[in-house]
Amino acid sequence: MAHTSAPVRNGHPLHPGKNDVGLRNGFSKNGQHLHHTKGGLYKRPFTESFEQAPLYVAVLTYMGFGVVTLFGYFRDFLRAWGFEKCNLAQEREEQKDFVPLYQDFENFYTRNLYMRVRDNWNRPICSLPGPQFDLMERVSDDYNWTFRHTGKVIDGVINMGSYNYLGFAENDPTFLTSVEESNEKYGSGVCSTRQEMGNLDIHEELEKLVATFLGVESAMTFGMGFATNAMNIPALVGKGCLILSDELNHTSLVLGARLSGSTIRVFKHNNMQSLEKLLRDAVVHGQPRSHRPWKKILIIVEGIYSMEGSIVRLPEIIALKKKYKAYLYLDEAHSIGAVGPTGRGVVEFFELDPRDIDVLMGTFTKSFGSSGGYIAGKKELVDFLRLHSHSAVYATSMSPPVAEQILRSMKCIMGLDGTTIGIQRVRRLAENTRYFRQRLNEMGFIIYGHEESPVVPLLLFMPGKVGAFAREMLKRKIGVVVVGFPATPITEARARFCVSAAHTTPMLDKVLNALDELGDHLVLKYSRHTRSSRPELYDETSFEMDD
Amino acid sequence: QVTMNVGVAHSEVNPNTRIMNSRGIWLTYALGVGMLHIVLLSIPFFSVPVVWTLTNVIHNLGMYVFLHAVKGTPFETPDQGKARLLTHWEQLDYGVQFTSSRKFFTISPIIIYFLASFYTKYDPTHCFINTASLLSVLIPKLPQLHGVRIFGINKY
Repeated sequence: MAHTSAPVRNGHPLHPGKNDVGLRNGFSKNGQHLHHTKGGLYKRPFTESFEQAPLYVAVLTYMGFGVVTLFGYFRDFLRAWGFEKCNLAQEREEQKDFVPLYQDFENFYTRNLYMRVRDNWNRPICSLPGPQFDLMERVSDDYNWTFRHTGKVIDGVINMGSYNYLGFAENDPTFLTSVEESNEKYGSGVCSTRQEMGNLDIHEELEKLVATFLGVESAMTFGMGFATNAMNIPALVGKGCLILSDELNHTSLVLGARLSGSTIRVFKHNNMQSLEKLLRDAVVHGQPRSHRPWKKILIIVEGIYSMEGSIVRLPEIIALKKKYKAYLYLDEAHSIGAVGPTGRGVVEFFELDPRDIDVLMGTFTKSFGSSGGYIAGKKELVDFLRLHSHSAVYATSMSPPVAEQILRSMKCIMGLDGTTIGIQRVRRLAENTRYFRQRLNEMGFIIYGHEESPVVPLLLFMPGKVGAFAREMLKRKIGVVVVGFPATPITEARARFCVSAAHTTPMLDKVLNALDELGDHLVLKYSRHTRSSRPELYDETSFEMDD
Repeated sequence: QVTMNVGVAHSEVNPNTRIMNSRGIWLTYALGVGMLHIVLLSIPFFSVPVVWTLTNVIHNLGMYVFLHAVKGTPFETPDQGKARLLTHWEQLDYGVQFTSSRKFFTISPIIIYFLASFYTKYDPTHCFINTASLLSVLIPKLPQLHGVRIFGINKY
């Protein structure tokens, strides 16, 4: 369903007197979304869409799952009574009287649905995951229970699945000399924690650079992106604090929130009314039984949500945070380097002040071609984390070549290496994103997310189509990531494309043509909003020749 | 090594709890019952009362097996198996009673029972079978029987 809200006519407390300019003559174009600027909070219109498919699609999806479930029970019956060979791990005869280790029903879905389409995941590659990569061909003789490699290599497969937003997953020797030198100089591993002997000068340099890149006072880096969330949220909040987390937050944020011991309340995805209601309830009622005020209220959101492609409504969240005096933790794993005119993330995308956000977190895995995470903010916050973070005390620090790769790519993006390659890549990514999304919308697919997010989920809905889509795309030498239930809601199985700055227009055209063909063949074009690149043709009030 | 990632894209720990609230599932269920009825009607040996009794009995049998007999989830959940000993009915909406899905699935066997009683012309044998079948599917839905296992049947 398209996300719209009533435009604010009387202005907003932060920007009084600004009128909304979304509607033209009070009339909205058929099929277009209402553009609203929420009383001046947003400098540009915020257009996101999550269109729902027609009801018959949902009905057919459930029927598909029903058929698979019934067949699953039938096959389990055959396997149990010996009519069919059982390929699963089984207990030995002498162990049959013991209490079972696993419950076999918990594997029902894995055995009966996942196994049938398993060849679309975990495909082995034999080159680096750049815009194109080489796959090892593998076939299965027993319906995906075992695989064998034929020895052939499928080369030149277009990679639409890797998080390679700025194209830094490359093997260019001129770019990688500094990384190689740091490997020679420091070795490949540090083998110690930040607080003991693992604090190298390269880490200090990296942290200064990250702080300058983001426009904040100071930053701290960690060796693992998942661990950055899971280890630092417990250091920031504890018992007696409240965490308001978005419905679709990543597992690392959920794990960090659970480990901290605070109360967690979930608000509907990107829904500011839901968040405001929770904030009001929290401030008014306090802690559950004692009604004491909460020690801290921390709002945890992500910059770009990787499964939906939606961008967080940051201006509204900051307004709410200031009004109710809460803290904000922004996880920019997918948005740092990928959005914003110079690649500084969602803060720059919305033209906001990075000092408004209390904890800026991000990872280096997606746009910088490396690994690890960072937390940035005020100097007091980062100094506190240097002492109290579990990662600083117990986890090994970042490996030097990895840190050097981040330094190199960040300097490239900022232009500090003397070239304009970085800013060209950021612009190229924005162009590729807009082009890809616009063409997919014109073709009639249902795409989720914000119109400028480089993550493009294309809805497939039915379980059978998930497998068919991935296999057909591989036949056309395009590698895609498909996701189904239970990682997504049951009716929303999707294929997720990650547009990269390294994709050239011919590559994107090849992908788009393949999608066009497959969309007709598999019947995937369910969108009921007709979107054309020539809207003026639809706005004609009369079709006279001389108008 | 086969791994399934339940709950990675959303913080819903057990998708079973909200599957009955999804868009279109009530309609699919109604259509499914309709299809069952039409298939039974097309068998030439069965008269109309027999077909209605069979629809009622098969529907209630299916509902009993899938909602009240099978326990746990068909996928691994990240909550270390809190719902392993719960039937699907007990998992719905995390045990909150009187939600709209629960009301819908309580009322639908009653409606089928009314229709079956009408079409069997309240014949005593059919009435007995239909009533027994209806009770078998209504009694487990009572909130007092949430988590109750009579005589320890189906406990583990």
